[in-house]
Amino acid sequence: MFELKPMLSALWRNKVSALLIALQLALTLAIVSNATVIVKDRMEKVARPTGMDVGNIIAATYMPIPTDYDMAGAVIADLDLLRNTPGVLDASVTNQIPLSGSGSAGTYFNEPNQEIGGENANYYQVDSHFIDTLGLNLIEGRNFTPADEHVVGPNDRHHSEVAVISKQFAEKLFPGESAVGRFFYAGNTDKPVEIIGVVEQHLGAWPGWSRAGNVVFYPLLVTDNHKRYLIRTEPGQRDAVFKEVEELLNNRDPQRVVQVETLSKNLERTYIGDNVMIKVLSLVMALLTFIVALGIIGLTIFWINQRTKQIGIRRALGATRANISRYFLIENSLIAGTGLVLGTAGALIINRLMVSEFSQPTLTLPLLAVCAIVLLLVSITAALMPAMRAANVSPAMATRSV
Amino acid sequence: MLKMQNIRKSYRTDTIETHALRDFSLEVNEGEFVSVTGPSGSGKTTFLNIAGLLETPTGGQYLLDGQEVGNLSDSERSRLRNEKIGFIFQGFNLIPDLNLFDNIDVPLRYRGFNAKERRRRIEKSLEQVGLSARAKHLPAQLSGGQQQRVAIARALAGEPRFLLADEPTGNLDSLMARQVMELLEFINEWGTTIVMVTHDPELARRAQRNIQIVDGQVSDLRQTIAQPEAAIA
Repeated sequence: MFELKPMLSALWRNKVSALLIALQLALTLAIVSNATVIVKDRMEKVARPTGMDVGNIIAATYMPIPTDYDMAGAVIADLDLLRNTPGVLDASVTNQIPLSGSGSAGTYFNEPNQEIGGENANYYQVDSHFIDTLGLNLIEGRNFTPADEHVVGPNDRHHSEVAVISKQFAEKLFPGESAVGRFFYAGNTDKPVEIIGVVEQHLGAWPGWSRAGNVVFYPLLVTDNHKRYLIRTEPGQRDAVFKEVEELLNNRDPQRVVQVETLSKNLERTYIGDNVMIKVLSLVMALLTFIVALGIIGLTIFWINQRTKQIGIRRALGATRANISRYFLIENSLIAGTGLVLGTAGALIINRLMVSEFSQPTLTLPLLAVCAIVLLLVSITAALMPAMRAANVSPAMATRSV
Repeated sequence: MLKMQNIRKSYRTDTIETHALRDFSLEVNEGEFVSVTGPSGSGKTTFLNIAGLLETPTGGQYLLDGQEVGNLSDSERSRLRNEKIGFIFQGFNLIPDLNLFDNIDVPLRYRGFNAKERRRRIEKSLEQVGLSARAKHLPAQLSGGQQQRVAIARALAGEPRFLLADEPTGNLDSLMARQVMELLEFINEWGTTIVMVTHDPELARRAQRNIQIVDGQVSDLRQTIAQPEAAIA
């Protein structure tokens, strides 16, 4: 029943069109699998947990107009006002807004005056409300208390004696050990900073950074020329509070310029390139798959029309309708199989180039296999309708003279 | 072997209904060699299609080897065609992409024989038609007569009890036609029932019995040995 050898002989005699479809499939697999790995990587990146209650957080940045502005006093008054605003759960001061693309980073060491072997991390100068305001999950140690907070001038050599760090950074500094109660050194100094707490996750200022997730928080208020507040609202209250924040701050003190934004917007802006990439590549994959399916449908219909008499002869000689459908489906699968084998090699070669030249993620064999299986199913589905049509050719076609 | 009673076959379009066979009755006995003649459009091919289970009649009863075949499913008809009927077509109807061996192999695969049995039957049938040395040739590499002998070998390989030949010499010159006809006569001598549609009066005369179809009906049944000219007039 299974006519593999004669089928291969027949295919060999019509090899050009079969080979073209196989090559089209090979190219499609090579492109689709590599596009899939990029899309998957971007989707994982976009879907990474930020560690923060992003949907309910508002960020306000202000710059005072007077040069002799009492920044520390303004911060205390503003935060008091914000924390007592209806719909607000908590508010905190910070030097940078998370996920904004703007931030500060330093190099940290395990030993004093160490010069090499440090680990980079994004750092924030915050207050004791920061962890609750962002909704961070403190998994070890303790939060800052007001007693930990220090106010320093912009030109002071500010140094905090305690810090809370992210779990990812803790594992980098002290692999396999608890970081709480341990010390690190910010830069090439001999002044230790004690780790008093560890939060589960915080993506920091730059989610696309290779070390995103390495974060250090210091309980410091630096009285420089601008300040930023983070305001966490009750669920569903963010938009209402958002409309009030600018007015509230300006009413309390009109001598400044205030700008308000949401963390959601920041996050969206951060991933805009990734999201465009995901959409464009998904569209390209869908189009390529559609085109290859059309090619298979076209070729199968062409071959069936070309072999209508032959189908009639086979039917006259005893082929059932199922035999005829199966013949075309197996023939199509042989072409698809050839294309997918070639495509597998092509996909791996292209991926190797993309990894070495463009630092793209590696294409894994299971993912490649999934892409190949999907394309095989697409090709079988595409051939199914024409193959079923072929099965309806009458055996009486064998006795017709045309 | 074959018994048709009041067979009707009509083809209908939106505006026209054509009656290809009307109250067509015929009986062919086991081992007979019957020729079927008639003018173009008389219903010869329709008779052949119905006899070979390639088409279903609109009405009437058809018994093949004692089995009523009118109500069989498409798959059952395919199986019967494969097991009991051998076909020889005017245009040879070989599959051009397959060599002779694979062409003969086609119906045997549908029959479900194993590879060893198929090979035995293919080699035997090629030997019977004198083409053993050409097994790996493509049909296009053979003459018309040789191609028709391959078609006969393909029909013989299934060891059918009933052979239907549609103008088997129609595309051959007289020498080739005679060789093919002699082959058919040999096959008939081995016990295979043959019904042959032909335009050639010479060939029709060589059958044991000739049937003439006119306007979809059997017009005359005669022993060709007794009245050959009248039977094919």
